[in-house]
Amino acid sequence: MKMTHPARFVRIALSLLLAVGSIHAESVIPEADSTPQSLLRVNSTNQVYELFQPWIKKPPFSRRGLGALIDGNRILVTAELVANSTFIELEKPTSARKSTANVERIDYDCNLAVLRPTDPNFLEGMKPLALNGPLKVGEEATVLQLEPNGDIARTLGRITSISVGGYPSESGSLLLFKLGAPLQQRDGSFTLPAVRDGRLIGMVMRYDARNQSADIVPTAVIRHFLAELDSPTYQGFARLGIVFAPLRDPQLRRYIGLEEPGGIYVTDIAPRGSADMAGIQKGDTILAVDGVPLDQDGNYEDADYGRILFSHFTNTIKHPGAVVPLKTLRNGQVLEIPVTMRVADREQAISETHLSEEAPKYVILGGLVFIELSRPYLKEWGGKWASNAPQRLVYYDTFQNELPADRGRIIILSQVLPTPDTLGYEDLENIVVTKVNGHPIKSLTDLSEAAAKPIDGFQKIEFEEDPKILFLDAASVQSNAENLKKHYALPSLERL
Amino acid sequence: MHRYLSTPLVLLATLVSLQAVEISRSLIRIEATSQEPDYKTPWNPGDVASGVGAGFVVEGKRVMTNAHVVSNARFLTITKEGDPNPYLAKVLHVAHDCDLALLSVENPNFFKGTLPLEFGGIPEIESVVSAYGYPLGGTRLSVTRGIVSRIDFQPYSHSGMDSHLAIQIDAAINPGNSGGPVMQKGKVVGVAFQGYSGDVAQNVGYMIPTPVIDRFLKDVEDGRYDSYVDLALTYRSLFNPAARLALGLKDDSTGVQVCSVYSGGASDGIVKSGDVILKIDGHPVSSDGTIPMEDEAVPLEEVVERKFRGESVRLDILRDEKPVALTVPLKEPWPFKLQSNLYDERPRFVMAGGLVFQPVDQNFMEAHDPSDQRLNYLFEFFIADGLHANRPEIVVFSNILPDPVNAYAEEFRYSVVDEVNGHKIKRIEDIAAAFEEQVEYDVIKLAGGNRPIVLERKAVEEARPRIRERYAVTAEKNLEK
Repeated sequence: MKMTHPARFVRIALSLLLAVGSIHAESVIPEADSTPQSLLRVNSTNQVYELFQPWIKKPPFSRRGLGALIDGNRILVTAELVANSTFIELEKPTSARKSTANVERIDYDCNLAVLRPTDPNFLEGMKPLALNGPLKVGEEATVLQLEPNGDIARTLGRITSISVGGYPSESGSLLLFKLGAPLQQRDGSFTLPAVRDGRLIGMVMRYDARNQSADIVPTAVIRHFLAELDSPTYQGFARLGIVFAPLRDPQLRRYIGLEEPGGIYVTDIAPRGSADMAGIQKGDTILAVDGVPLDQDGNYEDADYGRILFSHFTNTIKHPGAVVPLKTLRNGQVLEIPVTMRVADREQAISETHLSEEAPKYVILGGLVFIELSRPYLKEWGGKWASNAPQRLVYYDTFQNELPADRGRIIILSQVLPTPDTLGYEDLENIVVTKVNGHPIKSLTDLSEAAAKPIDGFQKIEFEEDPKILFLDAASVQSNAENLKKHYALPSLERL
Repeated sequence: MHRYLSTPLVLLATLVSLQAVEISRSLIRIEATSQEPDYKTPWNPGDVASGVGAGFVVEGKRVMTNAHVVSNARFLTITKEGDPNPYLAKVLHVAHDCDLALLSVENPNFFKGTLPLEFGGIPEIESVVSAYGYPLGGTRLSVTRGIVSRIDFQPYSHSGMDSHLAIQIDAAINPGNSGGPVMQKGKVVGVAFQGYSGDVAQNVGYMIPTPVIDRFLKDVEDGRYDSYVDLALTYRSLFNPAARLALGLKDDSTGVQVCSVYSGGASDGIVKSGDVILKIDGHPVSSDGTIPMEDEAVPLEEVVERKFRGESVRLDILRDEKPVALTVPLKEPWPFKLQSNLYDERPRFVMAGGLVFQPVDQNFMEAHDPSDQRLNYLFEFFIADGLHANRPEIVVFSNILPDPVNAYAEEFRYSVVDEVNGHKIKRIEDIAAAFEEQVEYDVIKLAGGNRPIVLERKAVEEARPRIRERYAVTAEKNLEK
């Protein structure tokens, strides 16, 4: 199709590989501990679907990083290292012995994954890394890299900030360390463990070479991930599901009659999220979470990390299913509203915003290609997707919370593979389907089912935009199906 | 040797000057001083700039030129060939939708010795034409010559929203040619008006052809320009055999499918989405949307192009497989104005507590280039989604003059305003009225349910002289276009 779309994965990888530190061996400090016995090279070959042609995959690419052996014969890496992996290989730094591995669990929300070698004896003689406790800003930590010969290169850095920040999946924010460290460009640095006193303090997931700053998934998040892994059913990270504004403006505070010093103003509620199900409303002021008061920016006093955003408490310290009481001011009344923490229900999303391992769904009817709107699809338009992608689709994705709750998925005609059946429709692309043969379309399954019931021998397809309505000859579409598959080398005309 | 060479040169020069002498009695050089309104600081009068264009004398002691030569003009002088004196001129009529204007001259002596030019028809493809003007601003007449390359509908970039018939020529057309006549056999066959810069396309210039000029001259006969009218619908070619069959059409090549009928437009409530247009004013419509007219296949819009406000169009429609005859009274589709470049208008705004509110139009969007996604959606789909029905104007919080009273409002810049002091905001006037009310708090609610912006009225009043003085705000509102 018409776009060149640099995959963002590649860019992130490049920024790591191009990170040429100006400081060399000075920062590499000798440290006599057992960490070498806990590190494994992880080579992952990944392949993502081409969302403009969802029946094919883009060319495979490889990512190389360093995994940390943790308790239970598991290797901890970032989710991005092994996202959409087709083949994973573990390699011992010194002996170059290799084993293939499987992803035991991957969670994009926290950007973590654990791998398990297929060779059960592979990890013999290795020692798992223990997890370190909380750190404070200003404390030192060491990032581990491998020299080509298997020696460990250590770069000492200092924690420069601890806050709740954005993770690559964009599904929300979790605790994030920033470590100032002059990391060198070395092969295989996509994921790197960071340690202190021989204990893991977190996994480096991004490195900003210009500012010499590494983003680290801290142990608090890792512990939550591992605890979920050990629970009978993995649920991951719950979300409160609110958007809020700080309440710093004294005029606004006086207007809503707020006398206490803190509090945040709820500006939006994710439909069917934890807050929504508990009855939190737009315009509420949240004063305290679980009895701990919030300041005007939504921070609470955390025992380990000091003043940080309340979502660390609700999302990471608490697990799905936990009940968290919110002290709420509504129309001058203070309410105590118990909120059961829930994981965002992706099935209910109108436009999937997450990275996904799943093969994208599609339906091809006579040459018309139908797909579900998703954030990854919009990102095929490149870094400036928000302005370059079709604006109606961007609007639906961005403001999906404001669409009717029963809107269902947005199904779009993404492009046309010209066939005799689609004569005159070749120019159509990225328009939103409303009905097929009179049936409202809220999913690709709806579309597939409705297409099985043509009206008077025609497939009648209706759209929000021009041409508003089009027709296909149902019998001809059916009889040409095999031809269409053969002609455009399509493995299948639908994947649901 | 020398003599032989020089003779043909002299001859050639004489030839050129013969034509040039004739045209020099009609060609006009226009110097315009204009003031571009400032949509970022709307109380300011805007920057003054000057430019040079061309024009020519037409019947009735008038000078024809492009609208864009005289847009936003504050002061116009014109000169004719062979007379060094500048004369004061005024805009008599301006048509921004087809980039034409007529000027009048105060001093009646100006027209002594001038020759009004006559208009010809549509020149043939490949026939030679000459363009006259003052490219790159020189004071002496310039002639370039080329052939007619293409005759087609083209977007007119002056308004950015309108498309009319235009003729592509390969004669060099440069800034300063604008408004100049393009001649063939002693008659005007077009007015040079736009072209591509050299890095986009070579030798592609456009002129406004005489059907468009004729329409303009006819429109202003009653003393005012009413602008083009429009059916305000979209249609699509009907090539697909299944679609033709489903819509009850014969297996021939007639008819186009109506897609969108814009609410508030001429066809609203008369034509329906899914109708098939078979004939327009009796002209059979081909399945690619063209009609035969004067031995040419032209887009069906051409019928509407030649009509005026108050006239109507007859459509023969196939609806639910049955023929229907419809009459559409034509009018100007006002919501489109919002998306076209506007001239000779002053920006409207309201300022309160250092917050500036403005209605959104193309000029606003061009000046501010906001990245707010909600605003961009509302603007882009204002017509297609009929958003104007609930919100005739999109009013945004467009700018902030920082002051203690508005210390926490900056982050909401470019938010669309839904409500002020309990009143729905549908036009900029509503916001002015809402701020007139006596309240303790001014409460500004934004689209999308962000937190309200709350300003204490007492503080707003206290801040008022301070903000006006500090930021040199000469007016706190302007509601007049």
